[in-house]
Amino acid sequence: MTDTALNTRDNLSLIQRIRRDYSPLVIVMVGIFLLVFVAGAVFTDDFLTWFNVKTIIRDAALVGIMAIGLTFVTLSGNFFLLSMKEIAALSIICFATLMSADWNQWGPVEGDPTTWSLTMTFLVAFVATMVIATVAGALQGALIGLGGNPIVVTLGAAGLFFGIGSWWSDNLVVSYRRPHGAEWLGTGSFIGDIPNITVAFIIIAVVAELTLRHTTFGRQVYLVGANRAAGRATGHENFGMAIKCCIIASVCAAFVAVAFSGQVSSAHVNYFSSEFGSSGDMTIMVIAIVMVGGNSIMGGYGSTLRTSLGAIFISSIDNMMVLNGFNSGARVLAVGLMIVFSIIVFALVRRGSRAVE
Amino acid sequence: MADQPLLRLTDISRHYGAIQALRGANFEIGRGEVMGLVGENGAGKSTMVKIIGGFDTGFSGEYFYDGEVRHFHSPTAAEQVGIAIAQQELSLIPTMSVAENIFLAGDGVPQIASRKTLAKMAKPFLEEVGLGHIDPLRSTTRLSVGEQHLVEVARLIAHNPQVLILDEPTAALGETDSIRILDMVSRLKESGKSVIYVSHRMDEIFKICDRITVLRDGESQAPRAAADMDVNSLVEMMLGFELGDMYPARTPVPRDEPVLKVRELWPDGIIEPISFDVYPGEILGLAGQLGSGTSEILGAMAGSTKTRGGKLHYKGEAFLPTRPKDTIRRGIAYCSEDRKHDGLFLGRPIMENLSAPSLETISSNGFLSGAKELSSTTENAVKFTVDPKRLPQEAGVLSGGNQQKVALGKWLSISPDVILVNEPTRGVDVGARAEIYQILRDLADQGAAIVVASTDIQEITNLPDRIVSFYRGVQIGELQLDEMTSANILEQITDPFHEAGIAVSEKAS
Repeated sequence: MTDTALNTRDNLSLIQRIRRDYSPLVIVMVGIFLLVFVAGAVFTDDFLTWFNVKTIIRDAALVGIMAIGLTFVTLSGNFFLLSMKEIAALSIICFATLMSADWNQWGPVEGDPTTWSLTMTFLVAFVATMVIATVAGALQGALIGLGGNPIVVTLGAAGLFFGIGSWWSDNLVVSYRRPHGAEWLGTGSFIGDIPNITVAFIIIAVVAELTLRHTTFGRQVYLVGANRAAGRATGHENFGMAIKCCIIASVCAAFVAVAFSGQVSSAHVNYFSSEFGSSGDMTIMVIAIVMVGGNSIMGGYGSTLRTSLGAIFISSIDNMMVLNGFNSGARVLAVGLMIVFSIIVFALVRRGSRAVE
Repeated sequence: MADQPLLRLTDISRHYGAIQALRGANFEIGRGEVMGLVGENGAGKSTMVKIIGGFDTGFSGEYFYDGEVRHFHSPTAAEQVGIAIAQQELSLIPTMSVAENIFLAGDGVPQIASRKTLAKMAKPFLEEVGLGHIDPLRSTTRLSVGEQHLVEVARLIAHNPQVLILDEPTAALGETDSIRILDMVSRLKESGKSVIYVSHRMDEIFKICDRITVLRDGESQAPRAAADMDVNSLVEMMLGFELGDMYPARTPVPRDEPVLKVRELWPDGIIEPISFDVYPGEILGLAGQLGSGTSEILGAMAGSTKTRGGKLHYKGEAFLPTRPKDTIRRGIAYCSEDRKHDGLFLGRPIMENLSAPSLETISSNGFLSGAKELSSTTENAVKFTVDPKRLPQEAGVLSGGNQQKVALGKWLSISPDVILVNEPTRGVDVGARAEIYQILRDLADQGAAIVVASTDIQEITNLPDRIVSFYRGVQIGELQLDEMTSANILEQITDPFHEAGIAVSEKAS
């Protein structure tokens, strides 16, 4: 809203505005990067096909949803939750355990279960997982809100959640039979051949962006993130804010855990540590997306839209490299480079806009 | 004054993007001269200082030092030839001792020096800035802000600079520390050093400067001898037009029923609980120097700083705020002395700054109403003469004066009955200053009660209708309108118990 208002104020063309707002170095760097990207897109076989584009967005969906949740924490000035993958690990163990629990089988003992029974089993497991994630988020949020260092708090919490999940599952794979009530979320598609998880990603992205722009809560996120002391002085305490944002991030992580479990009909605490995505570590991947999206690491500046685009961007680069036969080490390197690059560009852009006084 | 200026800059231009900070400005300073550099916020003072000190290299124009053309590529290069800047923001390392801070750069100090050696070496520099009584081994955090500024200057003097630039050295200081700084400048001048003195405080400028250079909109006026000017003509040069009386006229305010009764309030940093009343329609001044406790009292009244106990009696209830939310809800607004710390969201648009305390009134069911926000913030912006077209801009790009207007203006949105303002015009140029005083007076005339704490003696003498004075955490007394002379106030806030044994009126003059 404010962005468009700003743009209509002056009658400069887009190019003139870019030249005014950004330093030549930033323009050149972004230019080179886009050039490489476009060249890669054009010269990589099978990159620009409908099937591949769908793949890219589907790959972006899981990490993207988590990153959108984490964006709230970052925007509110509470840095990052370094426990994202452990929250997901605890959630996936919780979900799979309940999906396979004897008492939670609502269908007949013999024969195919009905849709109703599958739904009931899923709902019980889903709600319980969300409750656990909410508690996990609230706990971390409260500690951060009371003044705990987010890095220390969430590193500690990470160990706690991973430990519980590992202990609960005896460090074994928890699996459950197909058909089960989470298949629709994991692998199903209601709208043509667009996977439901992609649809969920888009819906969550839109809802998150509208929340940030048009609700009182969203405004408070920005204000508290921009200046915590001024936020407090104007009646917006970080305590409640940290709790709310951490709950959002945790619930997003739990949702991703449920969706991923629905894909593989099983769970293990290490699913998000070793076997996920190109970099192998979900937390680092998610933080990378938030950073590459260009959100301020200090809070108060950015949006979930940026995060969503960051997720798709990283996913495209990753996809391009896979198609060109790079191994996972090279892909991790690429993600790392993108983070460094985005931080540098971001720092330069912000400095540029502050030079006026 | 030497015939050939020690430092001379001619036809200096500098632009940042579309903003022209300096346009063909000239500046010069002779040996052993104190040159005042004045101008409104945004006139280009900071840019000029940065260019002189080698911080800003992207300018066009000629730079002569000691008769030679120089072009410094870094502050270090400028420092080597003897140009040193004391910045507004402190750059001391708080965990180190005073002596260690003075010799931070390490030159002129033996490779291995004991703390005692350092202390002995630091002593003369401390004496030079009037801090001879301070133990050089003391930790820097235990000094007052004023003393820290002086230590910073001592560090610069240790490099034996020829030109010392002081950028608003007294902006954050109380009266005693300011006097120390002024004394130090005179001593430097006697020892043949040149000093460029940047300040908003007119009285200081006239007290110590030989000549004054005025910057306006990036253009310079030819330097004029301070003796040929007075405050009015200087302000006129700065603004480009004549400024009437800066302070709004005061008429006695009828006091019937206090709107706010402060009872036995005991903020941290105050020696004993304090009580006073605030009446609607008046501006009450809390007079006191830095460290007198007036900031803590306002903070405690707003719930933003810690309090040991006490009660506020307000609209039929007695309460003790523990967080700012408690007072905002009840219609008490508080504007702290440090707008960058907790007064503004610098990276957010001005509009969001103005609506921040009253999100409830511009939203329904948790959803913001863009139209309501626009209309209410536009109204406030107009009241504070901030161009409504600038509402979508970041608050950080505003000049100090406009920032202060936004920091203060945001509170109008909650329609406060009591407004607490600490240092209403710190770091604010003369034009905006007059506007802020007028706005405060208008608000009081509309029935709001305004409590102002200030360490600026001119301001505290001329703005409030009534004064409660404080000295080192003790409530001294109350002064009515007809007793409020600078001398009376100074006596109460600097030496109420006549400890020093000297007439304060002497100090005041």
